Amino acid sequence: MNEQHTAKAFDIDLQELSRMVAEMGGLAEKQVADAVDALAKRDTNMAQRVTDSDNAIDVLQREIEERSVLTIARRQPMAVDLREIVGALRLANDLERVGDLAKNIAKRVIALNAEFPPPKLIRGVEHMTDLVLGQLKAVLDAYARRDDAKAMAVWRGDEEIDAVCTSVFRELLTYMMEDPRNITFCIHLMFCAKNIERMGDHATNIAETVHYIVGGAPITERRPKGETEISALAGTNV
Amino acid sequence: MALVSGAKSPLYAQRRRRNGIAMALAYAATAFGLTWLVLILAVLLWNGFSGLSLRVFTEMTPPPGAAGGLLNPILGSIVMTGIAVIIGTPLGILAGTYMAEYGRYDKLSAVVRFINDILLSAPSIVIGLFIYEIMVAQMGHFSAWAGAIALAVIVVPVVVRTTEDMLILVPDTLREAAASIGLPRALMIQKVAYRAARAGMITGVLLAVARISGETAPLLFTALNNQFWSTNMNAPMASLPVVIFQFALSPYKDWQELAWTGALIITLSVLTLSIVARALASQSKSQ
Amino acid sequence: MTMANFTVPTVTSTVTSADGLTEKISVRNLDFFYGDHRALKTINVALYHGKVTAFIGPSGCGKSTLLRVLNRMYDLYPNQRATGTVQLDHDNILSPSQDLNLLRAKVGMVFQKPTPFPMTIYENIAFGIRLYEKLPKSELDGRVQHALERAALWNEVKDKLGANGQSLSGGQQQRLCIARTVAVRPEVILFDEPCSALDPISTAKIEELIDELKEDYTIAIVTHNMQQAARVSDFTAFMYLGELVEYGETTKIFTAPNDRRTQDYITGRFG
Repeated sequence: MNEQHTAKAFDIDLQELSRMVAEMGGLAEKQVADAVDALAKRDTNMAQRVTDSDNAIDVLQREIEERSVLTIARRQPMAVDLREIVGALRLANDLERVGDLAKNIAKRVIALNAEFPPPKLIRGVEHMTDLVLGQLKAVLDAYARRDDAKAMAVWRGDEEIDAVCTSVFRELLTYMMEDPRNITFCIHLMFCAKNIERMGDHATNIAETVHYIVGGAPITERRPKGETEISALAGTNV
Repeated sequence: MALVSGAKSPLYAQRRRRNGIAMALAYAATAFGLTWLVLILAVLLWNGFSGLSLRVFTEMTPPPGAAGGLLNPILGSIVMTGIAVIIGTPLGILAGTYMAEYGRYDKLSAVVRFINDILLSAPSIVIGLFIYEIMVAQMGHFSAWAGAIALAVIVVPVVVRTTEDMLILVPDTLREAAASIGLPRALMIQKVAYRAARAGMITGVLLAVARISGETAPLLFTALNNQFWSTNMNAPMASLPVVIFQFALSPYKDWQELAWTGALIITLSVLTLSIVARALASQSKSQ
Repeated sequence: MTMANFTVPTVTSTVTSADGLTEKISVRNLDFFYGDHRALKTINVALYHGKVTAFIGPSGCGKSTLLRVLNRMYDLYPNQRATGTVQLDHDNILSPSQDLNLLRAKVGMVFQKPTPFPMTIYENIAFGIRLYEKLPKSELDGRVQHALERAALWNEVKDKLGANGQSLSGGQQQRLCIARTVAVRPEVILFDEPCSALDPISTAKIEELIDELKEDYTIAIVTHNMQQAARVSDFTAFMYLGELVEYGETTKIFTAPNDRRTQDYITGRFG
């Protein structure tokens, strides 16, 4: 929206909302990266920092909610403005969940304190994280530019994460059968993989929201899904 | 703060001074006008009240030196004024209605309005002369009809003007509202516009009555005067203004006294009419 | 941006009778002139039975003018003319042979300022009924009561039907005008900014009333209050500089309009 409102304060409200969402997105991205980093490096201190800073994301979410409600009450937004605000609310929700999932991974790192598994076990999860972080970054970029095409690319890209998740599960299963001492660690890793896969789902949610903000209509086509028997087994209902 | 400091500035003081001077002049002018009005009323009351008695309303105008009243001129005034109003009011209202309702955007309305305004300010003696020429001269004698018609000619422009003004004051939204339920224009005017403008229109008629009840000049040329009781519309008829005119100029003391009394009666009636008209007008405004 | 260059209105959703909608009024290629000034430019729009259509747009965009074409109110004034066709059911109401009084009895109108006639509350209603029907007193009473009930005014005035209509409050006067319109049994009711002079509570009452009335009538409303248009209408038409820019379902227009000008207007980005 390059053209301005007659009421300039309305523009400021909307810009501020958008800025807060972007800030929240940045925080969530960092949380995810740090959590998986802590997992790879077995760094309990880093994991602790991740759990502690989740609060900042929650606070931002609350602020976005308050500001949205206030703006709706004060300005009675219509059309694109209304979609902006509803979109900000939805984005804040998704990003808050992403933050929670990262925190959950960090908590598992803390719980695993004493164990030293072979690094090859983590490689699959790291790969997934790279994919999801790429998706998150792309979708937040799409939001910042209100770029529908980019958002739709993210939306379609989730299929790959689902597929990788399935193969990671299969891989972890073989490790567990190979050496029962790996079981505890692998189960934790499975949950981490599932968390990361969920983050990917939130990224697609955000992509849907961006599509709605830009065009005003929900996505009508069916999303390609990479559901398999194992992901179903683990309760990942995409 | 700016206001407070401004209060002390020389510019503000000057403005206050000017305001004071203008106000003093306005008050003085008002007082000047009112003084004359009060003087006239006082003299009228002083001179007229003494002669006021029941006889004034029951006896005819006397010959000089005899006792008598003003019954025949009072009656003559009422009759001729009444007939003038009966003739003039419908004409005036219809013309005013045409100008405000049917012909509001026509050129003809503007022409009629212009002519009406001239008529409104025409000296009444000219009207008297005109009626004399077309009626009295043709018929060969003075008559009450001629008097009444001369007065009607004065009534018409007053009523036209007030009717038009009052109808134009009726908001267009009311006309549209009436039209919006399928009311034909004639009915709209009758049932809605007249009703909304009623008080103002009645005021207009009353003002016209007040105006003609004091007219002397047109009657001098038309109804002339009659010393006796007459209800014959084809004969000359007495009227208060003419009797006052004649009696006041006479050398007889009792006639002069009667003239004062007659003037008082006219003044009081006109005053009453004006007050009633005012009351009606303000009532319509508060609605 | 230059807005005057666009002449073709965007039809957001093509609504046909297949949707169970019946066109009560259909405006085709309507142009309207105040003297030489072209105030409406090739307007095409339909009003559906049982639906509320809102006309929005900045002042002077022609929305009130369009409304006043639908009952030919403009005929009261000189130098105003309309070309094109306006079909009411199957008659072109713009044809010179159209009986204006019958048309207006069919297409009622409620105005911006409440306009009760200078007569009693009862007479305000009975007056219009008597124009077209000769009814015995008892039946007339019933009709008056029914009209006042439809306008949600009966309970407030039933004990003072003899009071002057102009003695009521603004909101009550407006409902009296609605009752007066309803009493004549119109098929279409046009509302020309009916709430712009009313307080929020009276406004809510009128909106509630419009919602109740729409089952039985075809309703068009002109309003400056976009939230009001969003609340009461089923279809919305956005007009700008005498053109119909966008016309479609209200839900669509207020959440995701097609035309940029519509969007700029309803989000408060106009100039």
